[in-house]
Amino acid sequence: MVTDLPDLAERLRRITVEVADSGTSLGSGVLWPSGCVVTNAHVVRGSRAAVRLVDGSRLEGLLITRDTDADLALLRVLGTGIPAASIGESTVAVGSLVAAVGHPLGVRGALSVGIVHAVGPVRPGGRSWIQADVRLARGNSGGPLADATGQVIGLNAMVVGPLALAVPMSAVSRFVRAAGLSVT
Amino acid sequence: MSDLVTLSNGLAAAVQQASQSIFGVTARRRMGSTGVHWRPGLVVTADHTVQTEDDIVLTRPDGRSVSATLAGRDPTIDLAVLKADAPDVPAARIGDSRAVQAGHIVLAVGEGPRASWGVVSSVASGGTGAAGSVFDLDLTLYPGFSGGPLVDVSGQVIGINTSGASRSQHLAIPAVVVDGLLDGLQRRGHIPRPYLGVSTQPVRLPDALRQRLSLEQASAVIVVAVQPESPAAQGGLMIGDVVVSLGGASITDPMDLRRVLQPDRVGETVVTSVIRGGEARDLRIRVGERSR
Repeated sequence: MVTDLPDLAERLRRITVEVADSGTSLGSGVLWPSGCVVTNAHVVRGSRAAVRLVDGSRLEGLLITRDTDADLALLRVLGTGIPAASIGESTVAVGSLVAAVGHPLGVRGALSVGIVHAVGPVRPGGRSWIQADVRLARGNSGGPLADATGQVIGLNAMVVGPLALAVPMSAVSRFVRAAGLSVT
Repeated sequence: MSDLVTLSNGLAAAVQQASQSIFGVTARRRMGSTGVHWRPGLVVTADHTVQTEDDIVLTRPDGRSVSATLAGRDPTIDLAVLKADAPDVPAARIGDSRAVQAGHIVLAVGEGPRASWGVVSSVASGGTGAAGSVFDLDLTLYPGFSGGPLVDVSGQVIGINTSGASRSQHLAIPAVVVDGLLDGLQRRGHIPRPYLGVSTQPVRLPDALRQRLSLEQASAVIVVAVQPESPAAQGGLMIGDVVVSLGGASITDPMDLRRVLQPDRVGETVVTSVIRGGEARDLRIRVGERSR
């Protein structure tokens, strides 16, 4: 059970990776069950990327598939004992606490805390987002948005001023399943 | 259950609670605002978001529309009161805004519902000078949030959020101030609009003049028009007079003049300090009421 914010930050850092290409930090990613990393399509531009875990270990990530419309990308990473995120599809209530971990503006493993602003499209007819009242920056892309229990409920994708937009976990799970990989 | 989960659930419940009593307000062209069902039949919103007095449409929590009429407005505290018929929409649970302190966690709720969170940064004295007359907020007021409720962690409404006419402000008018406005409205049947009958422009005061008259303020307002028969005319105000204070409050720009003329001052005789021909003099002006 997550006891407090430092504990929540620790748990999220363990399943958050830094994604880089030729030494340039591009963003974040989430360690997905069975040796994968999920991130945004706009974070991984080529067919491979360097993935750095919180303990400093570096892995090579190979692109399995990318969906530019959904802005999601799936990487395979090779290694043993790699932790994986606890994925949640619990109902996300407006006002509930959310936490994000990522690498904004060059700071590694930074924690941001906020609340759910709204769930749904930003514009009529648009795609559904988890909209969070939390201050994120560019390096947060691809990183986890979690609820107060530490379950990952979304993948941070975009920042619109003080608002952060995350792809709901249901959409991420669908994307991973479509790639032929199971969620568990 | 951890403290974090308890807090998270509490905040979500507070949003749910407050959202049952809010309306979307459409009373200006470009962007809607939010309003709070404060007392049965009375919806409070931000005055600067009410630009039309007819064709005001409210959106209920269930999505249906209901029309509303303007019952009164007080621009000095950026509040407008609308009359609407929605008896099945509960009136908000109003909390004690006098118990609010800097550091209290609060939520701003908009139609949707949408929410943001933060803390009260200070319980300031607003333009009226009375302590606790405005809450400074460290939270984001998203587009359309003006006129909506400031909510405490137990779900009670403790103020009305406003970005003011500028988008950089994040303030809330405390619930006790809103109650005072509504009490006056229900007592008199309308909110009086104070009237002097004067047009002014800002003016910089020359250093030599400030020194001679021991004035701290760097600017004041100069009278460019006085309506005939108006309270200003009857008080002896003339074109060219430079008004430096009214009712004890310094006047540094035309906004100050509007700010100090609260509805309660209608009928009051205020001492108005002016500079005329380089000399200071005091005039006594009886604040009138704009005709309805």
